[in-house]
Amino acid sequence: SSPNMPTSAPSNHSSRPEDLIGKLNSAITPYEAKLKALRDLKNQIIGNRTKKLAFLKLGAVPSVAAILSDAAAAEGSGGDAWELHDSVLIQSAAAIGSFACGLDAGVKAVLDVGAFPLLLSLISHANDKVVDAGARSLKLIYQSKLAPKYDFFQEKNMEFLLSLLNSENENVTGLGASIIAHSCQTTAEQQSLSEVGVIKKLVSLLGGSLLQRDASLESLSAIIRDNQEVASKFVGTDNGKALNVMIELTKDKYSRTRLLACMCLISIRNTVSPYLQDLGIKNNLVITLLDLLDDPGQVGDESPFVFSSLITEKEDMQKLAFDANAVERMLEHLKKGSFHGKRLQGILLALADLCSKLECCRDRVLHLKVFDFAIDALAHDSAEVRTAACIFLKNISRSVKNLSAGYFMNETVILPLVQLLCDSCTSVQISALRAISNVVVDFKPHKSLFTQSEGVKHLVLLSKSMESAIRINAVCALKNLMFLANNRCKEEILLELTTSTLASLISDPEAAVQEQALAFVRNLISGTLNSIEYVFGEDDLLLHAIGRQLRSSYAYEVLIQGMYTLSNVASGNEFHKEAVMNQLFPSAGNETESILAKFLQSTDNRLRTAAVWTIVNLTFPSSPGACGRVSELQNAGIISMLKNMTNDPCLDVKLRVRMVLGQLLIFGDAST
Amino acid sequence: MQTTSKKVITRDEWEKRLSDVKVRKQDMNKLVMNFLVTEGYVEAAEKFRMESGTEPEIDLATITDRMAVKKAVQSGNVEDAIEKVNDLNPEILDTNPQLFFHLQQQRLIELIRNGKVEEALEFAQEELAPRGEENRGFLEELERTVALLAFEDVNNCPVGDLLDISQRLKTASEVNAAILTSQSHEKDPKLPTLLKLLTWVQNQLDEKVSYPRINDFSTAMLEDPAV
Repeated sequence: SSPNMPTSAPSNHSSRPEDLIGKLNSAITPYEAKLKALRDLKNQIIGNRTKKLAFLKLGAVPSVAAILSDAAAAEGSGGDAWELHDSVLIQSAAAIGSFACGLDAGVKAVLDVGAFPLLLSLISHANDKVVDAGARSLKLIYQSKLAPKYDFFQEKNMEFLLSLLNSENENVTGLGASIIAHSCQTTAEQQSLSEVGVIKKLVSLLGGSLLQRDASLESLSAIIRDNQEVASKFVGTDNGKALNVMIELTKDKYSRTRLLACMCLISIRNTVSPYLQDLGIKNNLVITLLDLLDDPGQVGDESPFVFSSLITEKEDMQKLAFDANAVERMLEHLKKGSFHGKRLQGILLALADLCSKLECCRDRVLHLKVFDFAIDALAHDSAEVRTAACIFLKNISRSVKNLSAGYFMNETVILPLVQLLCDSCTSVQISALRAISNVVVDFKPHKSLFTQSEGVKHLVLLSKSMESAIRINAVCALKNLMFLANNRCKEEILLELTTSTLASLISDPEAAVQEQALAFVRNLISGTLNSIEYVFGEDDLLLHAIGRQLRSSYAYEVLIQGMYTLSNVASGNEFHKEAVMNQLFPSAGNETESILAKFLQSTDNRLRTAAVWTIVNLTFPSSPGACGRVSELQNAGIISMLKNMTNDPCLDVKLRVRMVLGQLLIFGDAST
Repeated sequence: MQTTSKKVITRDEWEKRLSDVKVRKQDMNKLVMNFLVTEGYVEAAEKFRMESGTEPEIDLATITDRMAVKKAVQSGNVEDAIEKVNDLNPEILDTNPQLFFHLQQQRLIELIRNGKVEEALEFAQEELAPRGEENRGFLEELERTVALLAFEDVNNCPVGDLLDISQRLKTASEVNAAILTSQSHEKDPKLPTLLKLLTWVQNQLDEKVSYPRINDFSTAMLEDPAV
C-alpha cells in the first residue's frame, strides 16, 4: 500500500460535469472563469464518447450554445475584450463540434438548440482561428445523416457554397466539400452542381492538402454516383488528366485517400462502362483494396465493402480477385479475429460476393476452411454479422458439387441456421431462410437431419408470417426441401404443413407466395405415382385451389407453375387425367374462352410450353379415356389451335405441338 | 563449378567515379531542412533557414506548437499535452481513438509512477475502462496497463516495461505523427529512407563487385575493398 503522500487535488475533482455546467449557466461567474470552464469541458469530452453522453444528459449543449450565442452577438462591440471574446467563440465552437463528432445524439442536441446558424456566422469572422473552429464543427455536423439537407437549388445557397470552395482556408473548403458529400443525392442536384463548375473546383482541390483531397474525393463520389452525364464530364475534365490524378491517388501514402480514390473510380466504372476497363487498372483496384484490409482503423473496416462494390455481379472481376488470392487474404484477416463487427460483416459479404458465381472461389473457400468462421458468425452479437454469414452460406451452397456431396447437410450447419429462424431481427430470418433454401437442395434422398431438427416446424410457422418477404422465403425453402424427397419425408412435411395451409398459400395475396406454393405442390406430386394422390386429399382441396389460381391470376410465374403442376397430375392414371380435364373445362358451360386456350395464345414461351405439355399428357394414346378427351379438346377448339402452332417460334413449343399431333394421328382425326 | 571471382574496384577508381556524380547543394539543404522540421528542431531550422536561405516546407510556428506537445509527453505531462493538442486541432483526438487511448494509458502510467495509487485506480475506472468498453480492440492493452496496479514493486513486474521512458517516447512519437498528418506533412523525414536505400544498394552490389563500402553511416568513411 502506498504511503500517505500529500497529493494535489487532480483537476478532475474540481471539474465534475455538474460543476462545469453550473459555472457556464451561472450569471455571476466571471467571463474568464466561463472561458476556463468551457475549455475544461471541451478537453474532457474530446475523444471520450462516454463523457460526451454524460455531459449531454446534463444539458451541456444548450449551456454552451447560449454562451456561443452571447459571444457572437457581442461581436463588434469593440474594446480590448476581443481576444477574450474570440477565445470564447473558439472554445464553445470546438466544444459543440466535439459533441457532434461521430455521435448522432450529439448532432441532434446541437441542431435542436439552434447552434447551426451560430456556427455559420463564424465562417466570415476576421480571426482565422475562429473561422477554423466554426468550419471544423460544421464539417463534423455534416458528416452525420442528421445534418440539415442543403438546398442547392436556392441561388443564395449555391453562391455561398461556391464561396466556401473558393476560400483560402482549407477547413472552409473542406466544409464546402463536406456539404456536397452529405447533401448531394438526386440527379437534379448532381446536375446543378455540375453546371456551376463545381467539378473543376473539386478537381483542383485534389492537388491540395490532405484534408482538401479527401473531402474532394468524397464530394466527387457523391456528384458522380450513378450519373452518366456527370461521370462523363469528370472523365473529360482537363483532357482526362483529372482521371489520371484520381488513379494516382490510389497509390497515395495515406490509406484513407487510397480508399476514397478507389471508391470514386469504382463509381465511375460502374456508371460509364467504357472507362477504366483496362486490365492494369482493374488489378490495381483489386490489390489496393486487398492491401487496405491491413489498416487497423476505420479504413480497414470500410475497405471490404468497397471491395464488394467492385466485384458484385461481375464475374470477370471476381475471377481477377480470385487470381489475386483474395480468398487467402480475407482468411488471414478472419484468423486475426477480435475486431469490430463491421469489419467481420464486410469480409463475410466480400467473400459472399466472391463465391456468388464462381465455383473455383467456392472450392477454395471450402478447401481453406473459411467456412468455420462463417458458422461461428451465425451466433454473433451483431444482426448485420449474422445476416452476412447467412448470405455467405447461401452463396457458397450454390456449389452443386459440394451440395450433392452432402457437405452442408450436417449438424454444424443446419442447427445454427434453424436457430436463426427464430431470430429477433427480420432481415436475419430472411437471410437464414434463403441460406436454408439452398442447403436443403440436397441430392440425397433423405433429409431426415433437417426434418428431425424442428426445422420444418419453424419453416411452417414462418410460412404463416404477416411479412410477405418471410412467407415467400419460407415457402421457397419448403419447396426446395420437397425436391426429390422420399415418400416418408414428404409425409412428414405435409403433416406439419397441413393441406389446408398449403391450399391457402396457393391462394395467398402475394403472387410470389402463390408461385412458391404451386412449385411446392409440383415437387410434392413428382416421384412415385401415388404422390399424385396428394392433390385429391380432403375433397380435392389442392386441386381446386390450383384450378382457381389458374383462372384468376395474371402473374406468368404463377400460371406456369400451376400448369406444370396440372401437367404432372395429368401424367398419372385415368382418374387423374379426368380430374385435370374437369379443372380445365369446368362444366359451367359458359362461352368464355377456356384457360387452356388462353395459355396457348400467351406471349410467354414458358406458359405455352407448359400448356402443350399438359395436352401431351392428356392425349397420351395408351390411356383408355384418351379418345374421349381428344374429342372434348376438339370441341373446345384446342386441336385447331395446335394445328396453327406447328411452326411456333419457340422450339420447345413447336416440338411438343408436333408430339401431340403425332399422338392424335392414332385416333384418326376425321376433321382435318 | 567454378565461381567467377568478383571484379574489384580500387579506392582511387571508386573515388573518381564518385566525384563524377553531381548532387545539387539545394537538394541537400532541403533534406537537412526536412529532417530538422520533421524532428521538430525549431531553432535549428530557423537558423538554418537564415544561414542557407532554404525555405522550410511548413510554417515554423506550427512546429513550435507540435514540439510543445511532444515535449510535454516526453516529460510525463500528458494532461498538458492533451490540452495543447486540442488547442492545435480538436479533431485529432476526436478522430484517433487509438492515439487517445494511448495518451490516457500514459496518464495512468504517470500516476502509478508517482505513487498516486488511489488516483490511479479512480482514473483507470473513470477514464480507461470506458475506452475498453467503446472499443474491444483496446482490452488487451488495457489489461496490461491496469496490471501495473496489482504489483508492489512496479519496476520489476512483468508489465514493468510500461514504466520505461521508451514508452513515453513511443506515445510522444505517435502524437507527433498524428499532428503532422493533420497538417498534411510527411510524418517521416526523408533522410532515413535514403540511408536505407544506400544499405540495400550496397547489399545488391556486394554480390557482383568488390568496392569501397560505407559501413559506418555516422562517418560515411569509405573502407577499402576486401581483396
